[in-house]
Amino acid sequence: MENQTRFDLNAAIENWRNELAAQPNLAPDDRRELETHLRDAIAGFQQRGLNDEESFWLARRRVGQPQQLGEEFVKADPAKVWRERVFWMVLAVLIVNFWLILITCIPLHGWTNGFWGLLSGYAYMLLCYLPILALAIIVAKGQLNERCDTLAAVIHSRWRFVTIGIFLIVGIYGTPAVIQYFNSPVGRPITSYILLNYFSYFGWPLMLLLLAAWLMPTKGRNAPKRA
Amino acid sequence: MLTKDLVAASSKPLLLSILAGGESYGYEIIQKVRELSGGQIEWSDGMLYPVLHRLERDGLIDSEWKEADTGRQRKYYFISSDGRKVLKTERQQWLTVHNSLCKLWKIKPVSI
Repeated sequence: MENQTRFDLNAAIENWRNELAAQPNLAPDDRRELETHLRDAIAGFQQRGLNDEESFWLARRRVGQPQQLGEEFVKADPAKVWRERVFWMVLAVLIVNFWLILITCIPLHGWTNGFWGLLSGYAYMLLCYLPILALAIIVAKGQLNERCDTLAAVIHSRWRFVTIGIFLIVGIYGTPAVIQYFNSPVGRPITSYILLNYFSYFGWPLMLLLLAAWLMPTKGRNAPKRA
Repeated sequence: MLTKDLVAASSKPLLLSILAGGESYGYEIIQKVRELSGGQIEWSDGMLYPVLHRLERDGLIDSEWKEADTGRQRKYYFISSDGRKVLKTERQQWLTVHNSLCKLWKIKPVSI
């Protein structure tokens, strides 16, 4: 008897998607668009009476080789890939900054001397390097593109990104600033305190946020009007 | 079959003309070109998108993700007002070439 394995169309598309994801020159939006095209082409062949396997292989051939696609896409806009890479780098710096500020809020009172002091010191250092460690694990597992896609889906619009960012900056950087003001022995008007500390608390992260928003790979800048 | 150079040169007016007729998406554009040319203009499916992205970067077209009838999201392209102006110029240029060749080959030219 013939022993034939059944063709799994979804698994085949998933494999193809992974091949595309391995192309550094293809942005998440490009990959999404190509996948839509592949699915449309498969549906077109199926309507003509071809089975799943034949439809998939023909559609895949029509769309083109992932490597070749990557090369062609980068030719269309060579700066796009670098713009996107710098965006992710700036975002990573911002997230690390948020993380470092957050862990400074961990109370270490009474844990600063002796064995427990040493242990808490090590634990604190480990916490500091945790984002870098997490990133290294994601890269090693080959999940970087997948994670970036997930994050890109959350922050899909520039306004949403800036709004979330400002809330985080005010919350994460502002709270320690206010606490420090109230703990300060010298009585000073809060306005002068905020103005004096503006750049150290809000200025730099805000600048990074605006830079990331500017580099963000979405539409919106100089968008032409529909004719 | 058309030569590679001619296919590349005609892609801009073809895309702008198709989009001037209404918004469309990659797969539909490819099908339309195949149908219009009787299979003579054969675009590689995946290579269409870099061209569309270039036109979008130049402000001649714009795009938006919308839900299709199938329920899946699909990226639709539409022509911009600048795109319409460029299409007008492209049309005149292509018809000039066409009419010159028509005169040479003694075929009835078309009005520009």
